[in-house]
Amino acid sequence: MRVVVLGAGTVGASIAELLCTHRHEVTVVDHDPECIKRVREELDVRALVGSASQSSVLFQAEVSGADLCLAVTGVDEVNIVAASMAKAMGARRTLARVYSPVFCDLSTFDYQRHFKIDRLLSLEHLSAVELARSIRYPGAMLVEDFARGEVEMQAFALSEEIAALGTPLRELKLPKGVRIGSIHRGEKIWIAGADDQLQLGDHITLIGARDQIDEVKEMFSIQPPPKQRVIIAGGGETGYHLAQLLEGRRFSVSILEWDKARCEFLAAHLPHATVLQTDIRRRQTLEEEQIGRAEVFVACTGDDENNIMACVEARELGAKTCLALINRPDYANVIGKLGIAYAVSPREVIARHVLAFLNTGPVVTRLPLTPDGPIDVLEIEVLPEAPVTQHVLSQAALPPQCLAAAVVRENFAWVPGADDRLQPGDTVVLLADREVFKDIVQAFTPL
Amino acid sequence: MKFADFVIPEAVRTDLKAEDKPGVIREMVKALEEAGGIDPAETESIIKAILKREELGSTGIGRGVAVPHTKHPSVNRLVGMVGVSQEGVDFNSLDGEKVYLFFLLISPPDRPGDHLRALENISLKLRNETFCRFLKQSKAPKDVVQLLEEADNNQFNA
Repeated sequence: MRVVVLGAGTVGASIAELLCTHRHEVTVVDHDPECIKRVREELDVRALVGSASQSSVLFQAEVSGADLCLAVTGVDEVNIVAASMAKAMGARRTLARVYSPVFCDLSTFDYQRHFKIDRLLSLEHLSAVELARSIRYPGAMLVEDFARGEVEMQAFALSEEIAALGTPLRELKLPKGVRIGSIHRGEKIWIAGADDQLQLGDHITLIGARDQIDEVKEMFSIQPPPKQRVIIAGGGETGYHLAQLLEGRRFSVSILEWDKARCEFLAAHLPHATVLQTDIRRRQTLEEEQIGRAEVFVACTGDDENNIMACVEARELGAKTCLALINRPDYANVIGKLGIAYAVSPREVIARHVLAFLNTGPVVTRLPLTPDGPIDVLEIEVLPEAPVTQHVLSQAALPPQCLAAAVVRENFAWVPGADDRLQPGDTVVLLADREVFKDIVQAFTPL
Repeated sequence: MKFADFVIPEAVRTDLKAEDKPGVIREMVKALEEAGGIDPAETESIIKAILKREELGSTGIGRGVAVPHTKHPSVNRLVGMVGVSQEGVDFNSLDGEKVYLFFLLISPPDRPGDHLRALENISLKLRNETFCRFLKQSKAPKDVVQLLEEADNNQFNA
C-alpha cells in the first residue's frame, strides 16, 4: 500500500522503517533537510524536504493517491492541519498524532470530526494503556484502547461453589452492560452462548464498564486481589494517563515528579493519588519514598537512561515488579537482564496502531484473544449499507460463534444488548471464532 | 438558537446545595434526570463525562458563571438546565471567584453545530450584566424561566 509519513523525527522514521519492512511504498516528508538526508541514507523510501502543512508539498508527496497518511511531526497543530488537508486531497485514511489531551476531547469542540481525520492518536495515552494493561491483568487482554477506557475485558477463574454455577447464562441476572465473553474450560475455549452453563474451575472473560464488572465479580465471589501499591516515576503525560487509568480501589498510586508546577497540576487532577515532588535520579529519594515496598514500580520519565537506572535501583531496594518506558530500540536487549519485567516502547505501540490501519475493507484490527486460541478480537468499521446495519443485533446477519463486545459511537463505548442496532460510522469490537471470519467480513461489507 | 430550545424548565434549580464541583454537577444532572431530560440509567455516565471535560480546564468563565457541558450519545436532542447557588461554589474559575450561576448543557455527538450554537448563545446573552445579575438573584425556578424567555425575546440586548 502507499503510505505518506509527515514528520521524520524518531516516531516518523521508525514507522517509515517498519512500513518498509512490510513492503509498503513509503514517502517521508520533513522540513529539516538533515532528517531527510538521514532517512534517505538509511531507508528505501521517497523522501522530500518541505512543510507538512503546505498543499504544494502534500501534492508532491502524492497524498492524493495514498492509502494512508500519517501526520507525526512534533507539532500538534501541524499534524491536525496536514492530516485534514491530506484527507481532503484524497488520502483514503489519515491519522494525526497529538500530544495535548484537549484535542481528543469532544465536549466543547470535536476536532476529529471537524477536521475530518480518521483518528487522532495520543502516543502518551496509548503507552499508558499498554503499561496499565500489564499491571492490571497480567496475561489478560483489554478492549479499552477503543474508547476512553470505558469498556474493559477482564479474565477470571471461577473458584467458589456459587449459585450461578449450573444455571444457563440467559437466566443469570447480570447487570445491564456486562456480558460474559468467552468460556475457557480445560483445553477448550469458546464464545459464551445464552444456553451455556458455568462450571467450577472455568475461566471466563467479562466485558463491561469497570464498576459493573466489579459487581459481577462480587456475584461470582471472585476475590479482589489485595490492594497494590504502585509507584510511578515521572509525572509527564504518560505518567499522568497511567495514574488516571489505575486510580481506584484496587491500587494505591504515588507519583514522583521533579517539576513543582507539574506536581501541582497532578495533585489537582488526581484526587486519589499521592504526588511527591522529588528527584528520582537520587538513590536517597527512592529509599525515602519506600520504593522497596511497592508491588509495582513504573519508570516513565522522558529519558530512557533515567528510567532504566531508576528501575535497577528500585529492583535492588525490593520493588516486586519494575516496568519502564523505553524509546530506544537498542535497549531492548538489556531490559530483561536488568530485571525489568516489561518495557513499553511508544514507537512500537504507535506502530501497531498504524499497521492496524493497513487492513483492507471494513476490518480495522485483528488480534488473537489468547496466544494460541481460536478466538480473535476484531475491530470493525460499520460502513453505510453493510448488511449488519439492517436489523438489531439479535436479528443481524452474524454467525452465532461471535459476540459484539463493544460498540464505539462518537468516542463513547458501551456493551451492546440484543436490541441495539449498529449504525454507519460506528466501530464494533467483536469476539469471534476464526472459522467464521469470512462470514463476519461479509456481514460488514456493503452490498 | 434560543434558551427555550434546550433548557428544560422543570430542571431549573435556584437552591443548589452542593459546595464543590463534583457535588454541584451531580446535583444538576440529577435535576435533569428528575425532570425527565435524560435516561436515569445514563446519569452516572453523564456526570463522569462532564467531570472529565472539567479536567481539561474549568468551564467557569468568570463573573460567577460556569457552563459545564458535554456530548453524550444517550440524548437525542440538546438538553440543558440552569442552576443557581445562593452560597456559591468553588469551581476553579478563571478569575478565582466562586460560581453562583450555572448553565448545564448535554448534546448528542452527531450535532456539533447545534452544540456550538447553544454555547455561543449562552455566552452571548450572559454578556449582558443585568441579565446575569437578575438570574443570580432569582429565588424560584419560575423567575429564571421568565428571564430566559425575556432573553429569547431579545429584551436584554446590550
